[in-house]
Amino acid sequence: MMNNRDTEFWAKVNARLAGENGPQLWRSLEELAGTPEAQRLMEAEFPDLARPDLVDRRTLLRVMAASLALAGCNPSHPPLYSRPEGVPGHLRGRSIYFATTLELGGYGRGVVVDTHDGRPIRIDGNPLHPASLGAMDVFGQAEILSLYDPDRSRSPLENGLERDWETVKLFLASVRADLLGSRGRGVHILSEPLTSPTTIMLAEAVRTAYPEVAWHEYSPILDDYERVGAAMAFGRPVETVLDLTRADVVLSLGANLFLETPGHIRYAADFTARKRQGWETGGRPRLYVAETSPSITGASATERIILHPSEFEPFARAVLAHLTGQIRAEASHPAVAAVALALQAGSRGLVAVGRSQTPVVHAIAHAINAALGAPGQTLRYIDPISPWQKPRVESLIELTEAIAAGSVSHLLILGGNPAYDAPAGLNFGDMIRRVPLSFHLSTHFDETSVACRWHLPRRHPLESWGDLRAFDGTVGLRQPTTMPLVDALTPDELLGALATGTVPDGRELVRSYWRTRWADGFEDRWLKVLETGVVPGTASEPLDLRLREDWDPGPTPTPNPAGVTVTFTADPSVWDGRFANNGWLQELPRPLTKIVWGNAALIAPVTAEALGFEAGDIAELRAGELTLRAPVWPHPGQAPGTVTLQLGYGRWAAGRVGNLVGFNAYSLRPAQQPWAVDGVQIASTGEKQRLISTQNHHWIDGNEIIRTTSERDLAVTREAADLPSLYPEYPYVSYAWAMAIDLDACIGCNACVIACQSENNIPVIGPDEAARGRIMHWLRVDRYYSGEPSDPETYFQPVPCMHCEKAPCEVVCPVNATVHSSEGLNDMVYNRCIGTRTCSNNCPYKVRRFNWFDYSGGELNTVTAQANPEVTIRPRGVMEKCTYCVQRISSARIEARLENRLIRDGEVETACQSACPTRAIIFGDSNDPTTLVSRLRESPRNYALLGELNTQPRTTYLARVESSGSPVSPRPVNVEGE
Amino acid sequence: MAQLFRPEANARFRVGIIVALPAAIGAVGVVFAYNHSDSAWDVGQTVSQPIPFRHDIHAGQLGVDCRYCHNSVERASFAGMPSAQTCMTCHSQVLAGASVLEPVRTSLALDQPIIWNSIHQLPSYARFHHGIHVSKGVACETCHGEVWTMAQTRKVETMSMGWCLDCHRNPAPYLRPPEAVHAIGWTPDNPAELINLLKAYNIATERLTNCSTCHY
Repeated sequence: MMNNRDTEFWAKVNARLAGENGPQLWRSLEELAGTPEAQRLMEAEFPDLARPDLVDRRTLLRVMAASLALAGCNPSHPPLYSRPEGVPGHLRGRSIYFATTLELGGYGRGVVVDTHDGRPIRIDGNPLHPASLGAMDVFGQAEILSLYDPDRSRSPLENGLERDWETVKLFLASVRADLLGSRGRGVHILSEPLTSPTTIMLAEAVRTAYPEVAWHEYSPILDDYERVGAAMAFGRPVETVLDLTRADVVLSLGANLFLETPGHIRYAADFTARKRQGWETGGRPRLYVAETSPSITGASATERIILHPSEFEPFARAVLAHLTGQIRAEASHPAVAAVALALQAGSRGLVAVGRSQTPVVHAIAHAINAALGAPGQTLRYIDPISPWQKPRVESLIELTEAIAAGSVSHLLILGGNPAYDAPAGLNFGDMIRRVPLSFHLSTHFDETSVACRWHLPRRHPLESWGDLRAFDGTVGLRQPTTMPLVDALTPDELLGALATGTVPDGRELVRSYWRTRWADGFEDRWLKVLETGVVPGTASEPLDLRLREDWDPGPTPTPNPAGVTVTFTADPSVWDGRFANNGWLQELPRPLTKIVWGNAALIAPVTAEALGFEAGDIAELRAGELTLRAPVWPHPGQAPGTVTLQLGYGRWAAGRVGNLVGFNAYSLRPAQQPWAVDGVQIASTGEKQRLISTQNHHWIDGNEIIRTTSERDLAVTREAADLPSLYPEYPYVSYAWAMAIDLDACIGCNACVIACQSENNIPVIGPDEAARGRIMHWLRVDRYYSGEPSDPETYFQPVPCMHCEKAPCEVVCPVNATVHSSEGLNDMVYNRCIGTRTCSNNCPYKVRRFNWFDYSGGELNTVTAQANPEVTIRPRGVMEKCTYCVQRISSARIEARLENRLIRDGEVETACQSACPTRAIIFGDSNDPTTLVSRLRESPRNYALLGELNTQPRTTYLARVESSGSPVSPRPVNVEGE
Repeated sequence: MAQLFRPEANARFRVGIIVALPAAIGAVGVVFAYNHSDSAWDVGQTVSQPIPFRHDIHAGQLGVDCRYCHNSVERASFAGMPSAQTCMTCHSQVLAGASVLEPVRTSLALDQPIIWNSIHQLPSYARFHHGIHVSKGVACETCHGEVWTMAQTRKVETMSMGWCLDCHRNPAPYLRPPEAVHAIGWTPDNPAELINLLKAYNIATERLTNCSTCHY
């Protein structure tokens, strides 16, 4: 069913690409089609200024109330506090840092939490932790907002009615009495996969005390296939830890190494480090990424290979055949030979496999790695981090069957949200309701809590004691960073209560575990570990494994049903749905689609064209009995004939932010095929839905926005150095700040965007305002494509304020609210700004953001306790933009001045810089030729964005280096440390 | 066609100008004068406190150093308020049972803070760091006045932006050598030599008037 408009749209896209004069870079298919909408967005600074929506009465009252509040008096006698007792070493207003560990998919990432006067305000990576190395992903950083989430559950509930903790204690005692009476028969415990040594100890204690308790583990981001594949290859479960600093050639079979793997931050860091090293040693590494739906890993690849889910196994077999000559493979993919050749070429290679690939693909990859000699070289096998090995889906099905058989008397759900995220068809929420006594421990009164009889509030990780193992086995300690904001329990405490009858102290539980491990010097080691956050020497030992002779079950027959294949992925913002109520993450443009506040069914442009779909058209997907209605998003680079759905949306009990955002992809996910469903019928419903994507917002227009160089010749073209200018000259006697952003290192992961939001109190504005192009992020990551929509090259470009030396914004402000500082900063003075927006109109980079409403006081930003006290909260009617984290410069300057010295290179790290896993952002003093940023500005790859305008930006870019498919030897010269 | 204006309209207009213009100018003048007056900035104002603490006794008669109680003034943005424990170092012996000190004892007993009322408040968009000022020769007295004479602490300067800028534009006359920063009632022997302190403290005057020095 194709309407005329759609036909015309796709005809225009194709015509534009066929013609010679198409743009080299493009941001969206709308731009390629030259739609009037795209043109309008490019030309206007504030595209939606011209069509204001009618302001309803309530909004008007709110805005008026906000103005009155602004005009009102401040208290002239604010309180000053004398503490009862002094805290040695603490000065009020100075940060205290706690090292702790946060979890994603069961794996720990070490973080350092910045607390001000008892309030945690920011999360950075822990440099001592192997999984983070000082950087942090978006999920970890956004936990700070989740801590203060006003929708967190505040009290225990029984059938939705509030109960006090005394009642809960009686209830727990009765559960314990039942357990003792029946030795646990009929009691089922469902938890997320356990990876904490202390929790595992407690779980074992419960299982020993009540031997007939049945324990189930489930998490929707399933790694069952990985386990089964390892069992096929080695006869035992193992996990694979990659060492990308040593790999010359990497083949990823559907593994989103830089975003979704347990070691993703470390892998991104290691791969980039290896790239930088490449200039000195044997060439840059090659990364081949075979994938169905584009990922940020694919965007960084030397070569992206688009595979339908059913093509992975033949592809892997063909690569193995090329490498060993043992196995025959038919009809191999054209890229196989090149990949195999690269892997073979006397270099150190490895193959990584995504968790959504079938067990056979995992087994084949183990065989390829064995053939390459990778174990011990570029990867190591370790004992699984989660010791209980039963496949999770199987475990959940067993539980469902037990409930159906009526043999479950108690169901204790420790964390997770299975009523929402269990595969469709199990009807798990309804099954829970059949259990006579069920309870759920969780931070929110969510879908599962609603189904359970009891709900107990769970402590947030930043309020809890505990420990967690990282992707390589290293144990990180978890400690509270604040007084508990809510009276609640941790899973450890709950298990302790079941085992012993009294609710134990979380700290004592962790200490009691480690006391058994550390024979002597316990207190000293404990204090040391609290300080560093990492238990030394706990990384898992590498295993020496031999491939089984009979590992290969033979080729799987390729099904060829009609319809499309649907694949599922964890969402880059809300993961499995657990972050759905986090405004920062909902409003974070997803790395590739740039969609905010929702998800979409990603389909290949060619499939969209064939089916007559345009962005936002609602499709109905039907897989057997399961159906789902989802808006379609033509996604450049998606494999034809596939639809990719992000999990984690469509929640109805997430909270005020996350309720009813997007569609619930779990409702199409069958238990037997959790990652890819074949033979799905797709049909148009004729309806449309708004999809909000920022890809056409803040559109800049100019020459060579993204520049690339080749490995043989790094130089980019540069503008003449001494173009004439009417702008004033400024002398610099001390510092002159500058930033260099390495586009070759940037992987588009968005960590910098959240870091900036967290540091600079950037408000969340909500979907309606976001759709008007008003997202407040001071730092955005632009994504560009080049080439055919079927298989484009993808580029990322983080764009903060350029702090131009000849700044067009400064000269036009009628009230001097944006001025040049003596250190080259383009200062923004909120208290002077009267909101004419002239500066923004004159900014060619479109980096200025305007407070159209009182966003910071709006309903999505109720959490003032989280705000960074070092940064002013901007009121309505005020312009704002990136300040180069001037508060950090200021505090570093004061520290240096108190010690009578200059600021050292690297002492001021901007928030975006400190979060970046690949160290793509470097900040420093460009007046000192020895600083790293000065040396990078001298690099042949250095260029200014829109340099032809002669704004002389202080933020400059290092061109991306395009690798050719075959390895080339590096240039003999060593270029400024690259 | 009839005249729009009657003859007396001119007269009315002239009278209007003579009356209204001075009134308008006067109104602006009154507002201007008020904004520059001490009362607009709460100068001289005192506030009741939970404990009738007397700087004149502690700092004046007894000669307790400012830093004994305001102990982070040389290092942090916040000068620091003494803990109840600090008060009790002396007051466990001196005036041990005095009823005016009840809040101090309660604070320690109940582990609750003593809440004082500040008389100095900067707007949220203005940043001030005590440490950098004190360590670069700005004395306590320069901004807070003769605190050692005050029975009730009061604000002595406007703390307006103009007042800040008087010093930031030309700091030399307001500086003291390091040993005199916490001194009481210090006056320079030779005011002309104060300019040398700029170099001694390594003060970069061009940076002092950047907006982002205080506003971010």
